[in-house]
Amino acid sequence: MTSQDNVPMTRAEKQQAKRLKRFDNPWMNPKLLWGLGLLLAIVALGLLGRIFWDPDLVFTGSAPLKLPPVGFENLRRQEGIWDYPLGTDGGGRDMLAMIIVGAPNTLFVGLLASLIGMSIGIFLGFSAGFLGGRIDDTIRVLADVMITIPPLLILVVFQSAFGDVTLTMMALLIAGFVWQSPTRLIRAQVLSMKQSGYVQMAQLSGASTGHIMFREMLPNLVPYLFGSFIASVTTSIVTAVGLEVLGLGPQRIPTLGRTIYEAINAGALIQNLWWWWGIPTLLLAVIFIGLLLINLGLDEVSNPRLRKLS
Amino acid sequence: MTDKPVLTLRDLSIEFPTTKGIVQAVKHLNLTIEKGRRVGFIGESGSGKTTTALAVMQMLAEPGRVASGTIDLAGVDVLALSEEEMRLTRLSRIAYIPQGAMNSLNPVMRIEPQLWDGIIAHEGTLDRAELKRRSDEALASVGLPTHTAQLYPHELSGGMKQRVCIALGIILNPDLIIADEPTSALDVVTQRQVMQTLKDIQAKIGSGLILIGHDMGLMAQSVDELAVLKDGELVEHGTVQQIIENPQHPYTQDLISSVPLVGGDSFLNPERNADAPRRDSSEPLLRFENVRKDYGDVTALHPLSFTLEGDTPQIISIVGQSGSGKSTMGSIMLGFNPPSQGRVLYEGRDIYGMTAAQSLEFRKNVQAVFQDPYACFNPFYRVNHALKFPFKQFGLAKSDAHTQQAMEEACAAVGLDPDLVLSRYPHQLSGGQRQRLIVARALMLSPKLLIADEPVSMVDASLRATILSNIYDLKDKYGISILYITHDLATAYHVSDYVMVLYKGHVVEAGPPKEVIGAPQHPYTQLLIDSIPWPDLNRSWGQGGSGWDPAAQEAAAAQTRTVLRGDISGFALTQG
Repeated sequence: MTSQDNVPMTRAEKQQAKRLKRFDNPWMNPKLLWGLGLLLAIVALGLLGRIFWDPDLVFTGSAPLKLPPVGFENLRRQEGIWDYPLGTDGGGRDMLAMIIVGAPNTLFVGLLASLIGMSIGIFLGFSAGFLGGRIDDTIRVLADVMITIPPLLILVVFQSAFGDVTLTMMALLIAGFVWQSPTRLIRAQVLSMKQSGYVQMAQLSGASTGHIMFREMLPNLVPYLFGSFIASVTTSIVTAVGLEVLGLGPQRIPTLGRTIYEAINAGALIQNLWWWWGIPTLLLAVIFIGLLLINLGLDEVSNPRLRKLS
Repeated sequence: MTDKPVLTLRDLSIEFPTTKGIVQAVKHLNLTIEKGRRVGFIGESGSGKTTTALAVMQMLAEPGRVASGTIDLAGVDVLALSEEEMRLTRLSRIAYIPQGAMNSLNPVMRIEPQLWDGIIAHEGTLDRAELKRRSDEALASVGLPTHTAQLYPHELSGGMKQRVCIALGIILNPDLIIADEPTSALDVVTQRQVMQTLKDIQAKIGSGLILIGHDMGLMAQSVDELAVLKDGELVEHGTVQQIIENPQHPYTQDLISSVPLVGGDSFLNPERNADAPRRDSSEPLLRFENVRKDYGDVTALHPLSFTLEGDTPQIISIVGQSGSGKSTMGSIMLGFNPPSQGRVLYEGRDIYGMTAAQSLEFRKNVQAVFQDPYACFNPFYRVNHALKFPFKQFGLAKSDAHTQQAMEEACAAVGLDPDLVLSRYPHQLSGGQRQRLIVARALMLSPKLLIADEPVSMVDASLRATILSNIYDLKDKYGISILYITHDLATAYHVSDYVMVLYKGHVVEAGPPKEVIGAPQHPYTQLLIDSIPWPDLNRSWGQGGSGWDPAAQEAAAAQTRTVLRGDISGFALTQG
């Protein structure tokens, strides 16, 4: 089958071989690894930060006001100092402590919301696709109607009615708006899989409905579930940050969105306090880029046609 | 011959770089196609037939490349052409009718503009009347009425769509037509009509024709020369006469002998007749009571009653074209598709009203082999899952070691090496291996009844006979009764004890195969048998060509009543 076994390879051929090797193990996908790295860095920031930095500095008045990051000057010609390396905000809170506590909080809301949303989606999607009939009609209509309702509108009403909410509470509310698309996706997949030969084979083998659903179908859905999960994490975080920036998130717990809300509220843009809103925005960008890279990477893992040979 | 050959392939090699090194898809191929000649490329899937054709079109899929050799198209070196020159060459000089071409028509465009596209791309915008004249001419040349031009693809039947694709291919009078399995998705009657059209049009415009396929019978009826490919090498090349009457290469001999014929020698060797498994019930094994199935307004199966006693193992064949209701019958028997009327009784119990325990008992005793061996394995599991799981589910397994032993024995019985096969994933096995594994699965469970729905229609021709004899062994050695659903009369002739011919949901002729298929009386059965392409030059399609009128025969079929031939013991059919 192979030719030119003993001919020394040129450089281009060696590179080609290396790429092919990477092609062989789909999980060694550079995009996926970079994305995971970025998200893990945020988690590590939260964990290590609590050990090496003082999280109590997030309380109002625990530091001087409006200090710039080290190496910069604010409008009052104050130099940044190493006690507060990323500066402080208008309420006298340390920015480093704020992101150590806030960034993982934001990620937590996103992950929890989409975890709940996905679970609902898997349950409803399977029920609709597998059982069919009236149950299918009900679930499909429900999901389609919910998709047309703008989530922010409802959430704004809810949050203002509740007043102060906890992170978990907010995640639950957001979860109510991220289950529709996984439901539809899984329903469609289950419908087509139900006709497939191996499901018929399993039926012939006397398999129970539970076995067919969870042992025969679910494993083949894993790539879709992963992709859908990451997409809904992104949606959840966008929704959560949107609410927080409107001032509707948790009032006493620091999150990236809340920090941006306070910065805007205190006129940080006019006073040139760029670190106040800039640093949380940067971290949000890192989270989104991380999620995007994971999504692209997973796409390539589950769909070999997207993987490039050269 | 004064004309230059249409196509000359000299020392052509095509390779695909992959992770495991370079795979040579085509190796040093030398071939010449003269003007007006029809050349068949025959070989199994993966033998390089389509790859060669695509190389001629310069349409090899990435990362494939022509490694060496030349492709000469009537004096033009194809490999030296630029992308733009190649674009102009395609269709105007070489036309390619791809596999499953009938699904490549644009579903939202009428037929006419799709025909015009090719002309406009090569000759620029022409006068509308001129375009219309040429598209009508092309449609007429493939035997389609002019009003077809105004229809959408979904309004045409499979055979008509395939003819439209041929019209698309020949509209610019190319020097060479490449048809890649043009009839693979069509049933025998339509296949014969389409091939006739293709041959006529090729003779009319005098181009060369490459016909790619794997059916020796179809080749024998359609081409002048035959090129046999195996693993990318041209193993034999000659006129059809030479190759069919005096094949040199063992692979060619295999290909020819693997085509089952009506009459002639059987490919089966019945050794001993096993008794049917002992049954506790005195009720018949399977009984249809006035079963009818409707899909909306369409009746797929008209009321039908039969009784299969199951005391002696028998093979009952159900033959018919696609749409005749034969697969519907299969799924009704398996309990997947409740009938609109009537009852299906397994050992006296209605299979659509069983308790969980009865249902498990029914499942254990009624198993199936499906058409598509690629879909039958869950891609997530190793293939042994499909064998191991039902074995345990039905309480047949005494221990893991016992399961393993049973799997290995079953694999060995169908001619597979258990060590090589069982721990693989489905995508690592060929279609033939998978189908044999499904047969092995049936063997392991030793049901009383096996429903085999087109078990070999998606398997390479050379493997069909082997798999069929595996299935036959189930009856012969293990005493399993089999319902064999197929469109292939020749195999039904050999394996079955009783044949039912289904036409539009009615049984039109039924009886022992020697009578029904050997000497058909119903016009529809005669039509089916006339359409089989024989790998025998003396028994030509062409001879009956002028007098062959499928429409008239079908009309006669609709008028004629069911012909019931002889009976056999253990099976009784009553038309309801």
